[in-house]
Amino acid sequence: MGDNETVICRCEEITLKEIKETIERYQCSAREVKLRTRAGMGPCGGRTCRCMIDRLVEQLGGPSISNEISLSYRPPVRPVSFGVLGGDVK
Amino acid sequence: MRSFDVIVIGAGVIGSSVAYHLVKKGLEVALVEKGGVASGTSSRCDAVALICDKKPGIDTEIGFASIQLFKQLANEFSVDFEFSSRGSLYVCETEQELEVAREYVSQQAKDGYEMRMVDRHELQEIEPYLADDLAGGIWTEVDSTMNPYKLCYAFVEEGKKLGLQVYDYHAVQNITLDDRGRVESVVTDRGTFHTKRIVNCAGVWSPKIAEMVGVHIPIKPRKGMVLISEKTPLKVAHQKVHEFGYMLSKFEDIHFKRNVSELVEKHNVAFTIEPTDANNFLVGGHRAFRGFDIRSEIEVMRAIAERAIRFLPILKELNCIRAYAGVRPWVEDHLPIVSEVEEVPGFYIASGHEGDGISMSPITGRMVAQLITGERTDFNIDKLNFSRYKNNQAVNI
Repeated sequence: MGDNETVICRCEEITLKEIKETIERYQCSAREVKLRTRAGMGPCGGRTCRCMIDRLVEQLGGPSISNEISLSYRPPVRPVSFGVLGGDVK
Repeated sequence: MRSFDVIVIGAGVIGSSVAYHLVKKGLEVALVEKGGVASGTSSRCDAVALICDKKPGIDTEIGFASIQLFKQLANEFSVDFEFSSRGSLYVCETEQELEVAREYVSQQAKDGYEMRMVDRHELQEIEPYLADDLAGGIWTEVDSTMNPYKLCYAFVEEGKKLGLQVYDYHAVQNITLDDRGRVESVVTDRGTFHTKRIVNCAGVWSPKIAEMVGVHIPIKPRKGMVLISEKTPLKVAHQKVHEFGYMLSKFEDIHFKRNVSELVEKHNVAFTIEPTDANNFLVGGHRAFRGFDIRSEIEVMRAIAERAIRFLPILKELNCIRAYAGVRPWVEDHLPIVSEVEEVPGFYIASGHEGDGISMSPITGRMVAQLITGERTDFNIDKLNFSRYKNNQAVNI
Protein backbone atom coordinates (compact mmCIF):
# COMPACT_ATOMS: atom_id res chain seq x y z
CA MET A 1 0.00 0.00 0.00
CA GLY A 2 1.50 3.31 -1.07
CA ASP A 3 1.59 6.25 1.31
CA ASN A 4 -1.09 7.98 -0.68
CA GLU A 5 -3.55 5.19 -0.05
CA THR A 6 -3.34 5.82 3.69
CA VAL A 7 -6.83 6.50 4.98
CA ILE A 8 -6.97 9.79 6.89
CA CYS A 9 -10.70 9.97 7.60
CA ARG A 10 -11.82 6.50 8.57
CA CYS A 11 -15.49 7.36 8.88
CA GLU A 12 -15.81 8.64 5.33
CA GLU A 13 -12.82 6.66 3.97
CA ILE A 14 -10.94 9.63 2.59
CA THR A 15 -7.33 8.97 1.62
CA LEU A 16 -4.21 11.06 2.06
CA LYS A 17 -4.06 11.37 -1.71
CA GLU A 18 -7.52 12.93 -1.97
CA ILE A 19 -6.75 15.39 0.80
CA LYS A 20 -3.35 16.36 -0.63
CA GLU A 21 -4.82 16.87 -4.09
CA THR A 22 -7.61 19.04 -2.73
CA ILE A 23 -5.23 21.29 -0.78
CA GLU A 24 -2.83 21.59 -3.70
CA ARG A 25 -5.52 22.31 -6.24
CA TYR A 26 -7.56 24.83 -4.27
CA GLN A 27 -4.97 26.14 -1.78
CA CYS A 28 -7.76 25.99 0.72
CA SER A 29 -8.42 25.96 4.46
CA ALA A 30 -9.01 22.85 6.57
CA ARG A 31 -12.69 23.72 6.59
CA GLU A 32 -12.83 23.80 2.80
CA VAL A 33 -10.98 20.47 2.64
CA LYS A 34 -13.68 19.06 4.88
CA LEU A 35 -16.52 20.44 2.76
CA ARG A 36 -14.93 19.34 -0.52
CA THR A 37 -13.86 15.82 0.48
CA ARG A 38 -16.21 15.00 3.42
CA ALA A 39 -13.17 14.21 5.58
CA GLY A 40 -14.32 14.82 9.15
CA MET A 41 -18.01 14.67 8.33
CA GLY A 42 -18.65 11.10 9.50
CA PRO A 43 -19.87 9.72 12.84
CA CYS A 44 -16.82 10.86 14.83
CA GLY A 45 -17.17 14.43 13.58
CA GLY A 46 -13.48 14.77 12.75
CA ARG A 47 -12.31 13.87 16.25
CA THR A 48 -9.90 11.34 14.74
CA CYS A 49 -8.62 13.11 11.63
CA ARG A 50 -8.89 16.84 12.25
CA CYS A 51 -5.32 17.28 13.56
CA MET A 52 -3.91 15.50 10.53
CA ILE A 53 -5.97 17.65 8.17
CA ASP A 54 -4.89 20.81 9.98
CA ARG A 55 -1.23 19.75 9.72
CA LEU A 56 -1.53 18.87 6.04
CA VAL A 57 -3.07 22.25 5.24
CA GLU A 58 -0.28 23.95 7.15
CA GLN A 59 2.43 21.95 5.35
CA LEU A 60 0.96 22.22 1.88
CA GLY A 61 0.29 25.93 2.03
CA GLY A 62 -3.39 26.62 2.54
CA PRO A 63 -4.38 30.18 3.49
CA SER A 64 -2.20 31.30 6.37
CA ILE A 65 -4.00 34.52 7.14
CA SER A 66 -6.91 33.39 9.24
CA ASN A 67 -7.71 33.69 12.89
CA GLU A 68 -10.69 31.40 12.75
CA ILE A 69 -10.63 28.11 14.58
CA SER A 70 -10.11 25.73 11.69
CA LEU A 71 -12.58 22.93 12.34
CA SER A 72 -15.34 23.15 14.90
CA TYR A 73 -16.54 20.55 17.37
CA ARG A 74 -20.24 19.83 17.11
CA PRO A 75 -22.57 17.90 19.37
CA PRO A 76 -23.44 15.17 20.09
CA VAL A 77 -20.10 13.90 21.42
CA ARG A 78 -21.14 10.35 20.49
CA PRO A 79 -23.87 9.38 18.04
CA VAL A 80 -27.23 9.19 19.79
CA SER A 81 -30.44 7.79 18.34
CA PHE A 82 -33.28 10.12 17.39
CA GLY A 83 -35.41 7.95 19.68
CA VAL A 84 -33.31 8.81 22.74
CA LEU A 85 -32.93 12.45 21.72
CA GLY A 86 -36.65 12.79 21.06
CA GLY A 87 -37.54 11.33 24.46
CA ASP A 88 -39.22 8.22 23.10
CA VAL A 89 -36.57 5.72 24.22
CA LYS A 90 -35.04 5.93 27.69
CA MET B 1 -4.62 50.63 -6.29
CA ARG B 2 -6.50 47.97 -8.23
CA SER B 3 -9.66 49.04 -9.89
CA PHE B 4 -12.80 47.07 -10.79
CA ASP B 5 -16.10 47.73 -12.54
CA VAL B 6 -17.95 46.11 -9.65
CA ILE B 7 -16.96 44.84 -6.22
CA VAL B 8 -19.16 42.18 -4.68
CA ILE B 9 -18.94 41.89 -0.91
CA GLY B 10 -19.63 38.47 0.59
CA ALA B 11 -18.87 35.07 -0.99
CA GLY B 12 -21.90 33.20 0.22
CA VAL B 13 -24.34 31.84 -2.31
CA ILE B 14 -25.79 35.24 -3.25
CA GLY B 15 -22.43 37.00 -3.67
CA SER B 16 -20.97 34.05 -5.59
CA SER B 17 -23.92 34.03 -7.98
CA VAL B 18 -23.94 37.82 -8.39
CA ALA B 19 -20.18 37.82 -9.12
CA TYR B 20 -20.55 34.99 -11.64
CA HIS B 21 -23.42 36.68 -13.47
CA LEU B 22 -21.52 39.99 -13.59
CA VAL B 23 -18.33 38.54 -15.13
CA LYS B 24 -20.55 36.76 -17.60
CA LYS B 25 -21.66 40.21 -18.78
CA GLY B 26 -18.01 41.02 -19.49
CA LEU B 27 -17.43 43.23 -16.46
CA GLU B 28 -14.27 43.28 -14.34
CA VAL B 29 -15.37 42.00 -10.97
CA ALA B 30 -13.78 41.37 -7.57
CA LEU B 31 -15.42 39.15 -4.97
CA VAL B 32 -14.30 40.24 -1.50
CA GLU B 33 -14.90 37.95 1.48
CA LYS B 34 -13.78 38.17 5.10
CA GLY B 35 -13.39 34.39 5.44
CA GLY B 36 -13.37 31.63 2.85
CA VAL B 37 -16.00 31.01 0.16
CA ALA B 38 -19.23 29.72 1.78
CA SER B 39 -17.95 30.25 5.30
CA GLY B 40 -21.17 31.68 6.75
CA THR B 41 -24.82 30.89 6.27
CA SER B 42 -24.37 29.05 2.94
CA SER B 43 -22.56 26.16 4.62
CA ARG B 44 -24.88 26.01 7.63
CA CYS B 45 -28.20 25.50 5.94
CA ASP B 46 -30.19 22.88 4.11
CA ALA B 47 -30.17 22.49 0.40
CA VAL B 48 -33.37 22.88 -1.50
CA ALA B 49 -34.92 25.08 -4.16
CA LEU B 50 -38.65 24.94 -3.63
CA ILE B 51 -41.74 26.71 -4.78
CA CYS B 52 -43.99 24.93 -2.30
CA ASP B 53 -42.66 26.99 0.58
CA LYS B 54 -43.31 30.31 -1.13
CA LYS B 55 -46.29 32.57 -0.89
CA PRO B 56 -48.40 32.79 -4.05
CA GLY B 57 -47.38 35.67 -6.31
CA ILE B 58 -43.92 37.15 -6.96
CA ASP B 59 -42.30 34.93 -4.29
CA THR B 60 -43.37 31.77 -6.16
CA GLU B 61 -42.79 33.29 -9.62
CA ILE B 62 -39.17 34.11 -8.87
CA GLY B 63 -38.67 30.79 -7.08
CA PHE B 64 -39.91 28.91 -10.12
CA ALA B 65 -37.69 30.90 -12.52
CA SER B 66 -34.74 30.20 -10.25
CA ILE B 67 -35.28 26.44 -10.47
CA GLN B 68 -35.32 26.68 -14.28
CA LEU B 69 -32.00 28.54 -14.11
CA PHE B 70 -30.57 25.86 -11.81
CA LYS B 71 -31.34 23.22 -14.42
CA GLN B 72 -29.52 25.28 -17.04
CA LEU B 73 -26.51 25.90 -14.78
CA ALA B 74 -26.27 22.22 -13.82
CA ASN B 75 -25.89 21.48 -17.54
CA GLU B 76 -23.47 24.30 -18.32
CA PHE B 77 -21.14 24.11 -15.30
CA SER B 78 -18.24 21.69 -15.30
CA VAL B 79 -18.25 21.82 -11.49
CA ASP B 80 -20.88 19.48 -10.07
CA PHE B 81 -23.17 20.86 -7.34
CA GLU B 82 -25.25 17.71 -6.91
CA PHE B 83 -28.41 19.19 -8.40
CA SER B 84 -31.47 17.03 -8.84
CA SER B 85 -35.18 17.60 -9.24
CA ARG B 86 -36.83 15.08 -6.98
CA GLY B 87 -40.01 16.92 -6.08
CA SER B 88 -41.12 17.60 -2.53
CA LEU B 89 -43.83 16.41 -0.19
CA TYR B 90 -45.76 18.38 2.39
CA VAL B 91 -47.55 16.33 5.03
CA CYS B 92 -50.64 17.48 6.86
CA GLU B 93 -51.22 16.12 10.32
CA THR B 94 -54.92 16.88 10.60
CA GLU B 95 -58.02 17.49 8.49
CA GLN B 96 -57.87 21.09 9.58
CA GLU B 97 -54.35 21.51 8.16
CA LEU B 98 -55.49 19.77 5.01
CA GLU B 99 -58.19 22.40 4.65
CA VAL B 100 -55.63 25.24 4.76
CA ALA B 101 -53.39 23.27 2.39
CA ARG B 102 -56.21 22.84 -0.16
CA GLU B 103 -56.76 26.56 -0.27
CA TYR B 104 -53.03 27.17 -0.77
CA VAL B 105 -52.75 24.54 -3.53
CA SER B 106 -55.79 25.78 -5.40
CA GLN B 107 -54.30 29.26 -5.51
CA GLN B 108 -50.91 28.00 -6.71
CA ALA B 109 -52.54 25.69 -9.27
CA LYS B 110 -54.64 28.58 -10.54
CA ASP B 111 -51.38 30.47 -11.15
CA GLY B 112 -50.23 27.52 -13.28
CA TYR B 113 -47.89 25.67 -10.90
CA GLU B 114 -47.74 21.90 -10.80
CA MET B 115 -48.84 21.30 -7.25
CA ARG B 116 -51.48 18.80 -6.18
CA MET B 117 -53.11 17.28 -3.11
CA VAL B 118 -52.37 13.67 -2.22
CA ASP B 119 -54.57 11.56 0.06
CA ARG B 120 -53.42 9.43 2.97
CA HIS B 121 -52.98 6.34 0.79
CA GLU B 122 -50.88 8.07 -1.82
CA LEU B 123 -48.82 9.56 1.00
CA GLN B 124 -47.88 6.04 2.08
CA GLU B 125 -47.09 5.05 -1.49
CA ILE B 126 -44.69 7.96 -1.88
CA GLU B 127 -43.09 7.51 1.55
CA PRO B 128 -43.81 4.12 3.16
CA TYR B 129 -42.04 5.02 6.41
CA LEU B 130 -44.37 7.93 7.19
CA ALA B 131 -46.62 7.57 10.25
CA ASP B 132 -49.92 5.98 9.15
CA ASP B 133 -52.25 8.48 10.87
CA LEU B 134 -51.45 11.49 8.67
CA ALA B 135 -54.31 13.17 6.86
CA GLY B 136 -52.71 13.81 3.46
CA GLY B 137 -50.34 16.19 1.78
CA ILE B 138 -49.14 18.24 -1.16
CA TRP B 139 -46.89 16.98 -3.94
CA THR B 140 -44.80 19.56 -5.81
CA GLU B 141 -43.15 18.14 -8.89
CA VAL B 142 -40.68 20.91 -9.71
CA ASP B 143 -38.98 21.17 -6.29
CA SER B 144 -35.27 20.48 -6.35
CA THR B 145 -32.22 19.90 -4.23
CA MET B 146 -28.47 20.50 -4.35
CA ASN B 147 -25.34 20.84 -2.24
CA PRO B 148 -25.27 24.47 -1.03
CA TYR B 149 -21.54 24.98 -0.49
CA LYS B 150 -20.63 23.11 -3.67
CA LEU B 151 -22.98 25.50 -5.43
CA CYS B 152 -20.94 28.44 -4.08
CA TYR B 153 -17.70 26.77 -5.19
CA ALA B 154 -19.24 26.15 -8.62
CA PHE B 155 -20.25 29.81 -9.11
CA VAL B 156 -16.79 30.96 -8.00
CA GLU B 157 -14.83 28.50 -10.14
CA GLU B 158 -16.94 29.13 -13.23
CA GLY B 159 -16.58 32.87 -12.55
CA LYS B 160 -12.80 32.58 -12.31
CA LYS B 161 -12.72 31.05 -15.79
CA LEU B 162 -14.29 34.30 -17.01
CA GLY B 163 -11.84 36.51 -15.13
CA LEU B 164 -13.44 36.86 -11.68
CA GLN B 165 -10.90 37.95 -9.05
CA VAL B 166 -11.50 36.44 -5.63
CA TYR B 167 -10.10 38.15 -2.52
CA ASP B 168 -10.95 35.76 0.27
CA TYR B 169 -9.67 36.44 3.80
CA HIS B 170 -10.05 40.16 3.07
CA ALA B 171 -12.22 41.90 5.66
CA VAL B 172 -13.98 45.06 4.49
CA GLN B 173 -13.21 47.86 6.92
CA ASN B 174 -14.56 50.91 5.18
CA ILE B 175 -16.24 52.18 2.04
CA THR B 176 -15.35 55.65 0.80
CA LEU B 177 -17.60 57.96 -1.21
CA ASP B 178 -16.53 60.77 -3.53
CA ASP B 179 -17.48 64.42 -2.99
CA ARG B 180 -20.82 63.84 -4.68
CA GLY B 181 -21.68 60.94 -2.39
CA ARG B 182 -21.02 58.22 -4.95
CA VAL B 183 -19.19 54.95 -4.27
CA GLU B 184 -15.43 55.38 -4.68
CA SER B 185 -13.51 52.58 -2.99
CA VAL B 186 -13.56 49.56 -0.71
CA VAL B 187 -10.97 49.48 2.06
CA THR B 188 -10.02 46.03 3.37
CA ASP B 189 -7.47 44.93 5.97
CA ARG B 190 -5.23 43.80 3.10
CA GLY B 191 -5.58 46.60 0.58
CA THR B 192 -7.92 49.10 -1.02
CA PHE B 193 -9.85 48.59 -4.27
CA HIS B 194 -11.22 51.32 -6.45
CA THR B 195 -14.73 50.96 -7.88
CA LYS B 196 -17.87 52.87 -8.79
CA ARG B 197 -20.20 50.04 -7.92
CA ILE B 198 -20.53 47.80 -4.90
CA VAL B 199 -23.00 44.97 -4.38
CA ASN B 200 -23.58 44.22 -0.71
CA CYS B 201 -24.23 40.46 -0.53
CA ALA B 202 -23.13 40.00 3.05
CA GLY B 203 -26.41 38.40 4.20
CA VAL B 204 -26.82 38.65 7.97
CA TRP B 205 -23.71 40.84 8.03
CA SER B 206 -24.96 43.21 5.30
CA PRO B 207 -26.23 45.82 7.81
CA LYS B 208 -22.63 46.22 9.03
CA ILE B 209 -21.42 46.85 5.48
CA ALA B 210 -24.27 49.30 4.80
CA GLU B 211 -23.50 51.25 7.98
CA MET B 212 -20.18 52.20 6.37
CA VAL B 213 -22.14 54.36 3.91
CA GLY B 214 -24.69 55.51 6.48
CA VAL B 215 -27.49 53.19 5.38
CA HIS B 216 -29.60 51.18 7.81
CA ILE B 217 -30.74 47.75 6.56
CA PRO B 218 -33.42 46.12 8.75
CA ILE B 219 -32.04 42.56 8.49
CA LYS B 220 -31.94 40.39 11.60
CA PRO B 221 -30.16 37.02 12.01
CA ARG B 222 -32.69 34.22 12.41
CA LYS B 223 -31.17 31.03 13.69
CA GLY B 224 -31.93 27.55 12.42
CA MET B 225 -30.65 24.24 13.76
CA VAL B 226 -30.30 21.04 11.74
CA LEU B 227 -29.58 17.46 12.85
CA ILE B 228 -27.68 15.01 10.63
CA SER B 229 -28.43 11.30 10.62
CA GLU B 230 -25.92 8.56 10.14
CA LYS B 231 -25.61 7.10 6.65
CA THR B 232 -28.20 4.44 6.10
CA PRO B 233 -29.32 2.18 3.26
CA LEU B 234 -32.91 2.75 4.44
CA LYS B 235 -34.80 5.09 2.15
CA VAL B 236 -36.23 7.06 5.05
CA ALA B 237 -37.27 9.81 2.64
CA HIS B 238 -36.85 9.93 -1.13
CA GLN B 239 -37.00 13.71 -1.37
CA LYS B 240 -37.72 16.69 0.82
CA VAL B 241 -40.58 15.91 3.21
CA HIS B 242 -41.85 18.55 5.58
CA GLU B 243 -44.89 19.23 7.65
CA PHE B 244 -47.33 21.80 6.40
CA GLY B 245 -46.92 23.48 9.77
CA TYR B 246 -43.54 24.60 8.41
CA MET B 247 -45.35 27.34 6.55
CA LEU B 248 -46.73 28.46 9.88
CA SER B 249 -43.30 28.75 11.45
CA LYS B 250 -41.96 30.66 8.45
CA PHE B 251 -44.68 33.25 8.10
CA GLU B 252 -45.84 34.93 11.27
CA ASP B 253 -49.04 36.15 9.65
CA ILE B 254 -50.53 32.69 9.12
CA HIS B 255 -52.52 31.99 12.23
CA PHE B 256 -52.87 28.32 12.89
CA LYS B 257 -52.25 26.36 16.05
CA ARG B 258 -50.73 22.88 15.89
CA ASN B 259 -51.28 20.25 18.52
CA VAL B 260 -47.63 19.98 19.62
CA SER B 261 -45.70 19.68 22.88
CA GLU B 262 -44.60 22.71 24.83
CA LEU B 263 -40.99 22.07 23.83
CA VAL B 264 -41.78 22.00 20.11
CA GLU B 265 -43.97 25.08 20.40
CA LYS B 266 -41.43 27.01 22.47
CA HIS B 267 -38.65 26.49 19.92
CA ASN B 268 -40.77 27.02 16.83
CA VAL B 269 -39.82 23.60 15.48
CA ALA B 270 -41.47 22.22 12.34
CA PHE B 271 -40.47 18.89 10.87
CA THR B 272 -38.40 18.75 7.69
CA ILE B 273 -36.15 16.04 6.31
CA GLU B 274 -34.10 15.79 3.17
CA PRO B 275 -31.77 13.16 1.74
CA THR B 276 -28.23 14.13 0.72
CA ASP B 277 -26.02 12.63 -1.99
CA ALA B 278 -23.85 11.18 0.78
CA ASN B 279 -26.82 9.14 2.12
CA ASN B 280 -27.17 11.08 5.32
CA PHE B 281 -30.43 12.83 6.09
CA LEU B 282 -30.74 16.44 7.22
CA VAL B 283 -33.48 16.80 9.83
CA GLY B 284 -34.91 20.16 10.93
CA GLY B 285 -36.28 22.70 11.17
CA HIS B 286 -36.15 25.53 13.61
CA ARG B 287 -36.43 29.32 13.64
CA ALA B 288 -35.42 31.62 16.47
CA PHE B 289 -33.88 35.02 17.11
CA ARG B 290 -30.66 34.55 19.10
CA GLY B 291 -28.46 37.27 17.64
CA PHE B 292 -25.38 35.81 15.93
CA ASP B 293 -25.10 32.89 18.36
CA ILE B 294 -24.90 29.68 16.33
CA ARG B 295 -24.09 27.30 19.14
CA SER B 296 -26.15 24.12 19.18
CA GLU B 297 -28.88 24.06 21.81
CA ILE B 298 -29.68 20.71 23.35
CA GLU B 299 -33.33 21.64 23.95
CA VAL B 300 -33.76 22.47 20.28
CA MET B 301 -32.07 19.20 19.29
CA ARG B 302 -34.58 17.36 21.49
CA ALA B 303 -37.50 19.25 20.02
CA ILE B 304 -36.39 18.54 16.44
CA ALA B 305 -35.94 14.82 17.20
CA GLU B 306 -39.30 14.66 18.98
CA ARG B 307 -41.10 16.22 16.04
CA ALA B 308 -39.21 14.09 13.49
CA ILE B 309 -40.10 10.74 15.04
CA ARG B 310 -43.75 11.80 15.16
CA PHE B 311 -43.76 11.85 11.34
CA LEU B 312 -41.08 9.20 10.66
CA PRO B 313 -41.08 6.68 13.53
CA ILE B 314 -38.27 4.72 11.80
CA LEU B 315 -35.89 7.52 12.80
CA LYS B 316 -36.04 6.30 16.42
CA GLU B 317 -33.64 3.56 15.42
CA LEU B 318 -31.24 5.82 13.54
CA ASN B 319 -28.41 7.80 15.03
CA CYS B 320 -28.00 11.52 14.98
CA ILE B 321 -24.29 12.06 14.34
CA ARG B 322 -24.13 15.82 14.36
CA ALA B 323 -25.99 19.06 14.85
CA TYR B 324 -25.28 22.50 13.45
CA ALA B 325 -26.88 25.90 13.25
CA GLY B 326 -26.74 28.88 10.95
CA VAL B 327 -28.30 32.32 10.87
CA ARG B 328 -30.61 33.38 8.06
CA PRO B 329 -30.89 37.02 6.94
CA TRP B 330 -34.47 37.74 8.01
CA VAL B 331 -36.55 40.70 6.93
CA GLU B 332 -39.97 41.53 8.24
CA ASP B 333 -41.81 41.25 4.91
CA HIS B 334 -40.08 38.01 3.82
CA LEU B 335 -38.98 39.48 0.49
CA PRO B 336 -35.30 39.89 -0.35
CA ILE B 337 -33.80 43.32 -0.98
CA VAL B 338 -32.48 43.56 -4.55
CA SER B 339 -31.84 47.14 -5.68
CA GLU B 340 -29.56 50.14 -5.77
CA VAL B 341 -29.75 52.46 -2.79
CA GLU B 342 -31.05 55.77 -4.09
CA GLU B 343 -29.15 57.90 -1.57
CA VAL B 344 -25.77 56.30 -2.35
CA PRO B 345 -25.28 56.01 -6.12
CA GLY B 346 -23.35 52.86 -6.97
CA PHE B 347 -24.29 51.03 -3.76
CA TYR B 348 -26.45 47.98 -4.42
CA ILE B 349 -27.95 45.48 -2.00
CA ALA B 350 -28.76 41.82 -2.71
CA SER B 351 -29.59 40.35 0.65
CA GLY B 352 -32.37 39.46 3.08
CA HIS B 353 -33.37 36.15 1.49
CA GLU B 354 -33.88 34.51 4.88
CA GLY B 355 -34.13 30.76 4.19
CA ASP B 356 -34.43 31.22 0.43
CA GLY B 357 -30.87 32.27 -0.39
CA ILE B 358 -29.84 29.00 -2.02
CA SER B 359 -33.19 28.73 -3.77
CA MET B 360 -33.12 32.30 -5.10
CA SER B 361 -29.40 32.60 -5.85
CA PRO B 362 -29.41 32.12 -9.66
CA ILE B 363 -32.27 34.50 -10.34
CA THR B 364 -30.92 37.07 -7.87
CA GLY B 365 -27.48 37.00 -9.52
CA ARG B 366 -29.02 37.29 -12.93
CA MET B 367 -31.22 40.25 -12.02
CA VAL B 368 -28.45 42.14 -10.22
CA ALA B 369 -26.34 41.80 -13.37
CA GLN B 370 -29.29 43.12 -15.38
CA LEU B 371 -29.74 46.07 -12.99
CA ILE B 372 -26.07 47.01 -13.19
CA THR B 373 -25.82 46.78 -16.97
CA GLY B 374 -29.02 48.79 -17.31
CA GLU B 375 -31.02 45.98 -18.89
CA ARG B 376 -34.62 45.24 -18.14
CA THR B 377 -34.86 42.73 -15.27
CA ASP B 378 -36.62 39.38 -15.89
CA PHE B 379 -39.25 40.36 -13.35
CA ASN B 380 -40.64 43.64 -12.16
CA ILE B 381 -38.76 43.85 -8.88
CA ASP B 382 -40.17 47.11 -7.54
CA LYS B 383 -41.36 45.16 -4.51
CA LEU B 384 -37.75 44.15 -3.77
CA ASN B 385 -36.54 47.75 -3.79
CA PHE B 386 -34.73 48.95 -0.69
CA SER B 387 -36.79 52.15 -0.72
CA ARG B 388 -39.79 50.18 0.62
CA TYR B 389 -38.31 50.54 4.11
CA LYS B 390 -37.89 54.27 3.75
CA ASN B 391 -41.56 54.55 2.77
CA ASN B 392 -42.52 52.36 5.72
CA GLN B 393 -40.61 54.56 8.11
CA ALA B 394 -42.30 57.60 6.66
CA VAL B 395 -45.70 56.00 7.24
CA ASN B 396 -44.81 54.98 10.79
CA ILE B 397 -43.83 58.52 11.67
